[in-house]
Amino acid sequence: MKTKKLVNITLHNLLLAFLAFIWLIPIVWLLVTSFSAYTGMNTSTFFPKEWSLNNYKNLLFSADSVAQFPNWFKNTFIIACCSCLISSSFVLMVAYATSCMRFKMRKPLMNMAVILNLFPGFLSMIAVYFILKTLNLTNNHLGLILVYSASSGLGYLIAKGFLDTVPASLREAAYLDGASEAVIFLKVVMPMSKPIIVYTVISSFLAPWMDFVFAKIILNAGISSQWTVAIGLYNMLERSLINTYFTQFCAGGVLVSIPISVLFVIMQKFYVEGITGGSVKG
Amino acid sequence: MEKIKAGLNSFGKAIAGFFKEFGEAVVKGDIFVKLSLLWMGAGYVRRKQYIKAILITIFQIAVLAFTFGFAMEYVSKFGTLGTVRQESVFNIQTMKNEFNDYDHSFLILLISLITFVIWIVAIVAYFGNVISVYHLQKRAQQGLHINTFREDVHELINKKFHVTLLFLPVMGIVIFTIIPLLVMILVAFTNYDQHHMPPSELFTWTGITNFINLFGGGGMTITFGYAFVRVLAWTLVWAFFSTLTTYIGGILLSMLINNKKTKLPKMWRTLFIVTIAVPQFVSLLLVRNFFADGGIMNTICANIGLTGWLRDIGLISTSYIPFLSAPIWAHVMIILINIWIGVPYQMLIATGVLMNIPGEQLESARIDGATPRQIFWNITMPYMLFVTGPSLVTDFVKNINNFNVIYLLTTGVFVTTNQAMANSQAKETDLLVTWLFTLTQDYYNYKMASTIGIVVFVICAAFTLLAFNRMIKGDREEAFQ
Repeated sequence: MKTKKLVNITLHNLLLAFLAFIWLIPIVWLLVTSFSAYTGMNTSTFFPKEWSLNNYKNLLFSADSVAQFPNWFKNTFIIACCSCLISSSFVLMVAYATSCMRFKMRKPLMNMAVILNLFPGFLSMIAVYFILKTLNLTNNHLGLILVYSASSGLGYLIAKGFLDTVPASLREAAYLDGASEAVIFLKVVMPMSKPIIVYTVISSFLAPWMDFVFAKIILNAGISSQWTVAIGLYNMLERSLINTYFTQFCAGGVLVSIPISVLFVIMQKFYVEGITGGSVKG
Repeated sequence: MEKIKAGLNSFGKAIAGFFKEFGEAVVKGDIFVKLSLLWMGAGYVRRKQYIKAILITIFQIAVLAFTFGFAMEYVSKFGTLGTVRQESVFNIQTMKNEFNDYDHSFLILLISLITFVIWIVAIVAYFGNVISVYHLQKRAQQGLHINTFREDVHELINKKFHVTLLFLPVMGIVIFTIIPLLVMILVAFTNYDQHHMPPSELFTWTGITNFINLFGGGGMTITFGYAFVRVLAWTLVWAFFSTLTTYIGGILLSMLINNKKTKLPKMWRTLFIVTIAVPQFVSLLLVRNFFADGGIMNTICANIGLTGWLRDIGLISTSYIPFLSAPIWAHVMIILINIWIGVPYQMLIATGVLMNIPGEQLESARIDGATPRQIFWNITMPYMLFVTGPSLVTDFVKNINNFNVIYLLTTGVFVTTNQAMANSQAKETDLLVTWLFTLTQDYYNYKMASTIGIVVFVICAAFTLLAFNRMIKGDREEAFQ
């Protein structure tokens, strides 16, 4: 009986290991290819024949007209910081207004948001592109920051779901003590909402790192030193460049993935809570 | 459906109430309220709210100046979208070629639309102003306190704090989402494409021609209808299978990891999360090269003899396996690769839900002698479906719009051999949204792109309406406060 159980447990964990193995193949391939001495795509063997650190060295210290990784990283970082600041405050503001306050236009505004979220995001992008172009903001970081953050208020639902679970009695008590609504927002509700603040901040910080399509529309025609990591790396895989830059692409991929993965793993703890929290506790 | 009806009803009532109040204000208001119909500041002056009076007057002047000083020139051409083509004229005074005073169709469309939005806001403000002035009059008649400007400002961080909070986000949404969406909706009714590109050419209204072309009418451009049906079919197939596979896969994986038999569940979970933590443009571009025609996967398949075997049984006719470059192969591969990306996400969500299943239910079922299989089908699954059912619909809609997976996996790799598809710039693996993107970015066919965008919206809206009742449970939000 005991051996049967042992076999059972081993098989169970072996199954998991097998699945994890399949899931990790591309990631491992990314990692090993980034250390390859050959610059093009290695098509004959899984592991590179010769190992070297050259890709990282080239990528970080000898930028050329195609690969300007330090610049891209800096650009993306600045854009991510600015849009993170704007989007997180927008999201939290809208979430507080719709969750904790009662006013006449609340329901109509929320229904409006549901409808707007149904349009494919970049349908409006075409027109946004023209608006930014008339304002001379295309191929410009400010334009991209605006694109990432201006409409962020629409993504308030998760934060609202969390704020809905903050007991109203707390706010009422503060209200009786003579606190204004603004003070309640900043001093009572926000300190209690740390998980959702962390989630909102990290997810809005990650958006510019993960995004590809908006950056491509807004920055595509610009000079390569102005690009973000996403378009820069995408460009490395152009048909004419792939044989010279494929391993550098892998190295770049590894370099952006490390900070993002760390943030992502932190965020996912709050992700589950934010997504399910509202619906489950009901 | 009842909810929607109720929603529309309350919306209509709100508007009717607004006009009723306005009518009452005009009829029963004193001379200053009536004067506010002409000069918006009048009522405030009467109640000694001078700063407010100045501010609203500035607003009124600004709207009028904008309308007559700038906007009318464009709005007046809205009906035709411009008639004067750009021409180069020789100017005798400067001895140079100069452009004539031409019409820019897109600017006319855009600025007219912005003007309409400003007008609507101004009209609402105008009516609201009269109503609020009338309220002031009533307060004064009842001998109630009338706010000073300082008190009014203080209201903005108190009772009216929502105005302060929502002002900037709503402005952002109006400028960067609503106005652009309206522009694109209007473009769907014009002939704005590569042959009608402002500023050198004009475009104009064409009614519903684009929709007729898209749905297969209108002889000449019949290929659009041909491509549309195929792209739509694949979009729905894709959305169905990608949602279903990742949903089931996510639940199975999370049950596998959360099982008591699992050693180190945290480690396994993190391993799977790492795969989605890598940005999609890295992981998908990588996978695309992994499965390229001359890529590593093909080498491995050739070495173990799989390629030869597939050729023998007639599944492929090439010397490689066209994982992402032949229709059926690419379709299957895309769904498989999406499982790779999507399952860890669903696993995260499912884990959260599974942990919240009431323990006593499972316990009592076990005591009653239910097998694990029975528990799964009779307790776990119904509970999962109850909690995540609505999100299943949103996932489906998200997948209809899943741009990244398709674009990053197939652009430049998959080339269609179907001439009729190629004529309308589509390919077999395109979703409606990637088709839309290609049409605008590479072919400047804005009219068809906008038309497709509207169709996508209608499809998404239809599916969401099905889940509408469950999604907006407005009354439930108070339950846990």
